[in-house]
Amino acid sequence: MSIISVHNLSKKFGDITAVDDLNLEVKKGEVLGFLGPNGAGKTTTIRMLAGIIAPTSGYAEIAGQRTDGNIERLHEVIGLLTETPALYDRLTAERNLKYFAGFYPIVGITPQVEKYLRLMGLWERRKNRAGTFSKGMKQRLALARALLHEPQVLFLDEPTSGLDPEAAQEVREMVKNLSSQGRTIFLSTHNLTEAEQLCHRIAVIRTKLLVLDTSENLRNRFFRQEVNIRLENPSITIINAVKRLDFVDDVEEKDNRLIVRLTEPDKNHPELVKEIVDAGGRILGVSEAEHHLEEIYLKLIREEKENGI
Amino acid sequence: MGYRRIVNILLKEWQFLFTDFGNTLLVTLLPVLVIGQLILYIWLAVNFAGESAINISIFQNALANLQRATPEVALLSGTEQFQVLLLSQYNFFMLVVPVMISVSVVTFSILDEKLSGSLEALLATPVKTWELLLGKALAGAIPALIVTWICSGIFLGIVAAMGWGYLLDMVMTPVWFISLFLFSPAVIILSFLLGVIGSSRAKDAKGAQNLVVVIILPVLALIVIQITGIIWFTAVSALILAFVIVLVDYFVLRIAVRLFQRESIVVRWR
Repeated sequence: MSIISVHNLSKKFGDITAVDDLNLEVKKGEVLGFLGPNGAGKTTTIRMLAGIIAPTSGYAEIAGQRTDGNIERLHEVIGLLTETPALYDRLTAERNLKYFAGFYPIVGITPQVEKYLRLMGLWERRKNRAGTFSKGMKQRLALARALLHEPQVLFLDEPTSGLDPEAAQEVREMVKNLSSQGRTIFLSTHNLTEAEQLCHRIAVIRTKLLVLDTSENLRNRFFRQEVNIRLENPSITIINAVKRLDFVDDVEEKDNRLIVRLTEPDKNHPELVKEIVDAGGRILGVSEAEHHLEEIYLKLIREEKENGI
Repeated sequence: MGYRRIVNILLKEWQFLFTDFGNTLLVTLLPVLVIGQLILYIWLAVNFAGESAINISIFQNALANLQRATPEVALLSGTEQFQVLLLSQYNFFMLVVPVMISVSVVTFSILDEKLSGSLEALLATPVKTWELLLGKALAGAIPALIVTWICSGIFLGIVAAMGWGYLLDMVMTPVWFISLFLFSPAVIILSFLLGVIGSSRAKDAKGAQNLVVVIILPVLALIVIQITGIIWFTAVSALILAFVIVLVDYFVLRIAVRLFQRESIVVRWR
């Protein structure tokens, strides 16, 4: 069941189209990675979905609330973590949260604030000014602020941007925890490893939605599967023997390795290994070539740019 | 819910405001300086210019206007007439205080939110823009008004303590009360709205607060045109002026509301 449904969402700023005809669905409890280069329309999309800016055309429905409907209700069902923590540095952590909690129909603001300060590991520092916090702590406090009213959908706009690796990891752990609690998370990020680690599905946008799928499916879709075979004695006889096999699309030799592209790797592995051994090859290791999301992303963006030109 | 949210904004703004040394100083020290300055001017004028001041041509028209508006002034000595003339300028002179406080509070508050990005987080909550605007307006207007009224009380007290109390009947005319209860709130609203407009465009507090000049210059101009005898504000003309300021408030409010929309704030405020 979809908790976010986006229908033909577009946004123009004058003559510039920031988001063009975006359609997507996000299931309840899903973490959707929203990727794209700078200026691709990620933040604009999040702002439209969060009811901060109005679309030029189209609409979205989030947890039963439409972006062109009652914005107050929409804001009660969503939580937003903006690109920067955007806290009141001269107020304490506790006061920051209580202030924001005051805008929602929360019964028992104090226990709710305590719950999230504890969850984010900030309870001991609750009386300290937010300005004295490290970047990671600020981001956790901002995350607590976005969660105070128990939103059904959480929008995270580049939550680890500008953080050091340790702080970024802390934030990722928090996102993982929230995901394990069944929260629906719409995560905009530049960090592809992060997207791969945290997200169930990946959407790539460059004004238009380019793809939306699991990273596994994207890999299969964009790269033919490859097997790396490390040999003690690579030779032309072995390569020719492999080439003769029906299920082999291509073979390449590189640094004592054969890189073999197969039609159906799971089925073809045993026969391939047997053929190499029969041809006199001594196999040191067999592994599947891995394509990271980054390669898929770059390939997509490059193709899109070329098509755009 | 609206009331609760407005109070929430108000309390946070005050906490924010009064934990800043510069703002606290502005709210407490500025009125003292303004009153002190005015009393000093009057004291210097009375003691050093004295009787001869009424012979200065620039003041003769103003004194004639004053006598027309308050005939009993004519029965006073020249020095006393001059004193009443100067004391009557308090109404306009003191408007500097609410203008300064109001503009400083709003620019401080909105610019801080704008520069830290907290305004976007705030706009993602169920708060309505009018609640936000009103909360911030009241945060500046309430202290500004209270300080203005307290200052007026202090001013009257000092005047009485200096032995000039018998002149107060001629100073506390209807114009005094119109100024205190109509001009001041109307000018505070104008200051706040211009502060919002300034904050939406300015990159720092200093830039936004330069707008103070836009409001203070006309206020000071009121003193100049009155003291040079171009015009003397009677109850009727003061009411007309108050109405004009309210009208200006209305038009500036329309501009400010247009600027203070969610989309304008996150997209256009740079």
